[in-house]
Amino acid sequence: MSIFASSKDLINTLCSLWEAIKTNHEMSKQLIESKLIVQFRYRDPEGLLTVDCSDGNDMKIIVGKTSIKPIIEMSMKADVAHEFWLGKVNMPMAIIMGKVQAKGPVPKALALLPVLKPAFEIYPNIFKQVNKKT
Amino acid sequence: MYVNMQPFLFHSPTKILIGPDTALSIAEIISELNAKTPLIITDSNLRKAGIVEGIISAIKQANLPIHIFDQVPPDSDLESVEKAVQIAKQNHCDIIIAIGGGSVIDTAKVANIGISLSANALDYEGVNTITCKLMPLIAIPTTAGTGSEVSAVAVIKDKKQKSKLLFGSPFLFPDIAILDPQLLISLPPKLTAACGLDALTHSIEALSALTANYISDGLSLNSMLLMFKHLLTTIKDGSNIDTRLATLVASTMAGLAFTNAGVGIVHALSHTIGSRYGTHHGLTNAVFLPYGMQFNLDVAKAKYALAWRSLAAQEMEKYLGNESAITKYIKANKSEADEKEAAQHFINIVKIFIQECGISINLKSIGITNLKDEDILELANIASTDPAIMFNPKEASVQEIAKIIREAY
Repeated sequence: MSIFASSKDLINTLCSLWEAIKTNHEMSKQLIESKLIVQFRYRDPEGLLTVDCSDGNDMKIIVGKTSIKPIIEMSMKADVAHEFWLGKVNMPMAIIMGKVQAKGPVPKALALLPVLKPAFEIYPNIFKQVNKKT
Repeated sequence: MYVNMQPFLFHSPTKILIGPDTALSIAEIISELNAKTPLIITDSNLRKAGIVEGIISAIKQANLPIHIFDQVPPDSDLESVEKAVQIAKQNHCDIIIAIGGGSVIDTAKVANIGISLSANALDYEGVNTITCKLMPLIAIPTTAGTGSEVSAVAVIKDKKQKSKLLFGSPFLFPDIAILDPQLLISLPPKLTAACGLDALTHSIEALSALTANYISDGLSLNSMLLMFKHLLTTIKDGSNIDTRLATLVASTMAGLAFTNAGVGIVHALSHTIGSRYGTHHGLTNAVFLPYGMQFNLDVAKAKYALAWRSLAAQEMEKYLGNESAITKYIKANKSEADEKEAAQHFINIVKIFIQECGISINLKSIGITNLKDEDILELANIASTDPAIMFNPKEASVQEIAKIIREAY
């Protein structure tokens, strides 16, 4: 059984997280500079989230299906995402063990991992708050 | 001993056939894999040198139709992949035989995606994106260095985008690797050295990698010992089948180790310098190896000490003679040292070994001159985001990477 009771819980949690990342100047600046469009595809429960930094000015967070073509697609179980944001996932090991699928220019996505580290500290509270509400 | 070791996966599905003239049994192997129409992927130099001809004759003798793509460039690209895919599709090939170095084998792996999945290989760029078995692939290396014959990754250049494309999937492991030392006899000394040191870098980086494990450690250590014992003789006398075989096996063992454990900062630097200046991958690894090891010393000392003690326990004079700088250094320092001292001895002996192989450990010796400080910082920045660095046992800041480049310059 997943840590997320439903797709709605999953998406609400991760949307809140990305909104927080967006308001954090340090993190958002580097993400926007990357001009990447990363789509996260979750399963168990399902969820689809796209983070679009392609215009180099703004970070757009899109929930569900979109016509925007991602540059990188990251697919994983929702629980792997949860563990990742808690800072508990050893990404090299997750890749070797096949827990994470990454389609597209993976090095560009991996380059952003260190940028996202501060989010590991804000995620536990967001998770608690969102999942308390639902 | 590992403390609180995370669960690990060791994946090694490639059947490995080893020995002189084993490549000549190719027709039987094709038949074992229930295939009838092979596509050979190779490069023009190997064909000109006659290295591929024995294998082609063996296939012809078995009355199998044969199709050949022999235009793989040294640093292969998508165009070559597409040409190979076209030939395979036109002729309904049902098995690929890659004969060559890393570039040829990587081309074959990526072409196999295009052929087997009837798709644009680009759609499968990334890691773990392939979800089903591909057509059988036999890899026959003609260098002893890349380990691509047993690895699950392939790197191909996209000339249009001026970028390198990474493909990683358990389905990219070749089905069979044939290690035939006869095919390496004409490999020139300098290339033998560069490839051997590439394999040594694989074994040392896999040994100290974040995701190293008991199995990869065993392969790394034994690969390293084989290289120390036999690479110098192979450089001096390329026709020595026994040492050719030993270094070829060492390279494959290092390939198995790094494909399961990862590499590290040396590879991150080598990828960065290689794609900017077109330097040989093995040579560039050799230049950076001692500096990368020195950087990792404080976190990798237990592993380096283990490697030193394994090496010091060998009777190296049997392999290299009493006058060899390696033998002398080991004899002078083999008495028990503490862990840090032993680890430093390992770095020192690696440095001596590289120099004994005829390689100078500085970037100028591989043609990189006129590096300005802003170039160094830019290169360090790029290296800091190379995927290989994820596996390094110690985090490295851009400034620390720049310092390594300055030291190697």
